[in-house]
Amino acid sequence: MKILLVEDDDVLIKVLTRSLTSHNYVVDTVKDGEMGWTYGSTFEYDLLVLDIVLPKLDGISLCKRFREQGYTMPILLLTAQDTRTVKVQGLDAGADDYVVKPFDQVELIARIRALMRRGSSNPFPLLSWGDLLLNPSTCEVNYNGQPLSLTTKEYELLELFLRDRQYVFSTDELIDRLWSSEEFPSEATVRSHIRRVRKKLADVGAPPDFIATLHGRGYYLKTMDADMGDAFTATSAFVSEEGTPTAALVNLSTVAQFQTKENSPVDSQQQYLDFLNETWATTKPKSLEQTSILLEVVHSLQDDRLSSNQQVEAQRIAHTLAGTLGIFGLSKATHLARQLEHWLAGYEPLRPEQIPLLKTLAMALQQAIQNTTTIEQSPLFDEQSPLLLLVSDDSSFNQALIMVATRCSIRVEVVSALELAPEWAEAQPQVILLRLPTGLTPTKIAEPASASHWLSALQVISHHYPSLPILVMGDRDELDDRLEVVRWGGKLFLEALMPAEQVITTVVNLLGAKTYAPKVMIVDDDHTWLSTLPSLLKPWGFKVTTLADPKQFWTVLQSVTPDVLVLDVNMPQINGFELCQILRGDPDWQQLPVLFLSVLTDAASQHQAFTVGADDYLCKPVVGGALANRILSRLHRIRACAS
Amino acid sequence: MGKRILIIDDEETIQTVVQFGIRMATGWEVLTAGSGEQGIQTAQTEKPDVILLDVMMPEMDGIATFKALQSHTETEQIPVILLTAKAQTADKCQFNDLGVSGVITKPFNSLNLPEQISRILHW
Repeated sequence: MKILLVEDDDVLIKVLTRSLTSHNYVVDTVKDGEMGWTYGSTFEYDLLVLDIVLPKLDGISLCKRFREQGYTMPILLLTAQDTRTVKVQGLDAGADDYVVKPFDQVELIARIRALMRRGSSNPFPLLSWGDLLLNPSTCEVNYNGQPLSLTTKEYELLELFLRDRQYVFSTDELIDRLWSSEEFPSEATVRSHIRRVRKKLADVGAPPDFIATLHGRGYYLKTMDADMGDAFTATSAFVSEEGTPTAALVNLSTVAQFQTKENSPVDSQQQYLDFLNETWATTKPKSLEQTSILLEVVHSLQDDRLSSNQQVEAQRIAHTLAGTLGIFGLSKATHLARQLEHWLAGYEPLRPEQIPLLKTLAMALQQAIQNTTTIEQSPLFDEQSPLLLLVSDDSSFNQALIMVATRCSIRVEVVSALELAPEWAEAQPQVILLRLPTGLTPTKIAEPASASHWLSALQVISHHYPSLPILVMGDRDELDDRLEVVRWGGKLFLEALMPAEQVITTVVNLLGAKTYAPKVMIVDDDHTWLSTLPSLLKPWGFKVTTLADPKQFWTVLQSVTPDVLVLDVNMPQINGFELCQILRGDPDWQQLPVLFLSVLTDAASQHQAFTVGADDYLCKPVVGGALANRILSRLHRIRACAS
Repeated sequence: MGKRILIIDDEETIQTVVQFGIRMATGWEVLTAGSGEQGIQTAQTEKPDVILLDVMMPEMDGIATFKALQSHTETEQIPVILLTAKAQTADKCQFNDLGVSGVITKPFNSLNLPEQISRILHW
């Protein structure tokens, strides 16, 4: 777990760093608020510790800035004043907790632990997965009762995996989250740490793939057998639970990635991507060269021989780099270049205390460029990415929301409530968010006397898009307000204070299972095979429903309304071919993609499958990846036909 | 109907990618220029339907280029859309006061540019 400490008191830095590192935290320290912003907005942290009194930008303003820009990591404030005003100010600025100086170190660490718990998807003080148990307060780890002796890095790896179970961590992400921003380990270093943890786990009896590899994507904790239900529980679980927000977000990126890979060669998006890759091959060396010039500037600064011309030139280079990297969709590298540009432009002459910051940024930029061998995702969004129509006059909120939305590949179109121009009506959003200005509650707007333009905006919107989900964000959270929102056809009421990240999570959920977590229904009488499928397909973000009894086919089909159906051929009572025929005989289900998955490898069976209306035929045994790819390519085809 | 676009940006990579993306998406013709001076010349001789203009360029920046384009009778009617980084969008009002047709924020996906341009210019 990685912490950013923004503190200008050297003694306190020393004490805190020692105490935090002894608890296996990785700590980056910076000494003023502006640098705190650069580090915090550029690198990944699990928690920020900010002193309130800081040079350049005070801790409360810094905290506010992070929240306004949509950053949601926990923030702990350190304050010397034990007055109510300061505490209230801090909490209002978006801090999660504060500690008054002088403080007890044990208490500080305990509060940090509590905050980290709140931020993770796992709220329990003890972290566990199968037989593995990790106790963050004592840093002890054991498997099935046997203690594991781990190095700091190995411990951190396991803790990270346990905090975000089900999440697939790429090597880059692991580097970002577990190494200090001044260190630049290679991917091989990460791999060797993973290898050592696996070995230690295997030595105490864990399965060799306890930490599994998803090829080309990263590492994750493999689902335990106990987590898989039998056929029917999987179904009912699905019906009752529409997926957690985090799961949906992960799904979104997984699907997006696969979409780009699954495109047919004629697809323009793919061709564009190919072109970007070709161009990257020549741009990369050029960008690396430009980065080394930036590093040289840092050296000159170190030796106190940086001319102002050099600095101007360096600023220009950073600007150019940001533009170039941006067009390839390399958002992290772009952000790094922008930060460099910001520091090079804003401070003339640069001062010695800014050397470490500039050096870190330039090195991180160099590494980000170096590590980009291929452009994998189509940059930003394509036409298929969902569009959010945002009706809001709150520019700082808009900015924050757009930033988070961009990270999730959601396009945002902002309109002012006053501008009921026809342009926005041409936009084809999938979801609408209306943010009421401060002090204006839904009940107030509804009063006839108010004649607010917000009310007419809402009416126009709900009239124009009768079938779209409309979210309303407002100041107050009372029953009357919620009632008004419902009357206007609003689907959800969100509190005005909700951070941008959470809003987008809600939006992603609303956009829903249909587009972004494809529902796959699998009918097979082989219980064992069926029970492995949910975990096999999980990394691809599908919602899987399994059914072992073909007699319940129709009932389950109607309640699940899958996007894809996978059928076994040989089953008792009704075989897969017959099920497919039944399906094709119903107008509602004629379009549903059907894949057969069978042990029958002969041409006659395959021929029969296509005759009864199959879209694809796979032979068992099949690996998860192959099945997932075939499913995705079917989905893609059907989506392409629909548009 | 096919359109002709002129992009003025000092970064060759951006010119190339935008050219490819727009052609790919719509088949419109895309002309490129690497500096304000060169862009003005091309605009005068080629008379494109719209000019995409990078704001921050060495020597002659986007604003100066725009003003020069406005001062020539051959080019004053051509709509100009500025390309600018997000950090600079605070200047949006200033840009609008200048009389440009619109602003597109970097980074963008070039495949979506035609749609954005069409929306701004009501094509």
